[in-house]
Amino acid sequence: MTTAQLDKMRLELRRGVLVLAVLASLKQPHYGYSLRKQLQDGGIDIDEGTLYPLIRRLAEQGLLDSEWQQGEGRERRYYQLSELGTQLLSQLTDEWQHLNNSLSNLLGTASQETK
Amino acid sequence: MELVKRYIAAVQRELPETKRDEIGRELNANIMDQLDMLAEQQGGLTDTDIAAVLKQMGHPRTVAQQFVPPQPLISPGYMALYKNTLFMVLGILFLLQVVDSTSAWLSSQMSFLLYMKSLASGFMQDSLLGFTSITLAFWLMSRHEPKQHSRCEQSWQPEQLPKAGPHWQHISLQDIFTDLATYVFLLIVIWYPLWLSTEQLANSRFLFTDNAHQLLKWASPLALLGIASSLWQLRKRFWSQSMLLGNIVLNGAFAAVILLLATFSPLLKLEPEVWQGVLQLEQLERAAVTGLVITAMFPLWEVVRDILRLKKLG
Repeated sequence: MTTAQLDKMRLELRRGVLVLAVLASLKQPHYGYSLRKQLQDGGIDIDEGTLYPLIRRLAEQGLLDSEWQQGEGRERRYYQLSELGTQLLSQLTDEWQHLNNSLSNLLGTASQETK
Repeated sequence: MELVKRYIAAVQRELPETKRDEIGRELNANIMDQLDMLAEQQGGLTDTDIAAVLKQMGHPRTVAQQFVPPQPLISPGYMALYKNTLFMVLGILFLLQVVDSTSAWLSSQMSFLLYMKSLASGFMQDSLLGFTSITLAFWLMSRHEPKQHSRCEQSWQPEQLPKAGPHWQHISLQDIFTDLATYVFLLIVIWYPLWLSTEQLANSRFLFTDNAHQLLKWASPLALLGIASSLWQLRKRFWSQSMLLGNIVLNGAFAAVILLLATFSPLLKLEPEVWQGVLQLEQLERAAVTGLVITAMFPLWEVVRDILRLKKLG
């Protein structure tokens, strides 16, 4: 497999998971840059070009509440999970755990077979 | 910070007007946060550092497209319907143009080359208008979210699907409209006195002799049958054994009529003074017979093709 193919597949794999990671991180209010830092500290590296539009899309879908606030001499837009977002996060978390268990079994079987 | 302002203005230019202020404000806040962090780490900022951060953000157009992804002119949900409508309308416009140009050709001294040019340019004009109108209509429809599945897609039954067969069994719209145009052309040419005024009739010319013209008149029900068959194909879009059989009979009859026409002598109604010094009348007759024999090869080829297809289906 070429590097380009691997990159494309990684991107596809991460796309859905990033939504979950962003929603989970926004249980607490964050502005764009602080959210990115939080994700990075949690081991999820995401570039600005992906993160900022994603937050806006989630807010437009009503999953996040947002508010402009003054902080450190500058205005910042803070985002936090809305009620709808909280419900969705709970459902997505269940789905993720179910998928994760199933995949772990499958990947475990596959790695044993390759050995 | 002049560079940041320029960058944000460049991004805003690529955004819809309603979203410019909001996204620009947010993007500015995010970039400033990033620059603050960098200044804290390095103890200061130069224009080169700012340029590097902006460069890392991406080209303004790319950033704008990430915030507001470009919408296709035609929504993917309508694409299949759009293509089908486009082909159908262009096919009908081609038929109408054949009628129009052929009538004009028969009632004037237009040469065959000019006739082809008139047919091509007329069709181009009509199709440009058709293409633009259909695309605009679908663009307007696409501005509203298409229904996920049309009524046809919801009520389909697997049992109603045609049998899996070779790819040629699906009849293309292009083939159907080409056949339709040929049959319409033949009917117009054969029955030209019906739609020409007395004056136009006096100026008109018909190449074949009266006897040959009489044979063509007798053969015109074949063209009508051809039109009916094409319309049926348009409805079914799938070759069945009975349709193939019908096509074999139709094309066989057409080939027979054309070959019979080639045996007529004289075949052409020519004015000797027009051709004097250009070509001998015998040469023209021979060329017309050869042309007819070559023309007969086309329906004959379809006969052979359809017999082979019929065998494969059997």
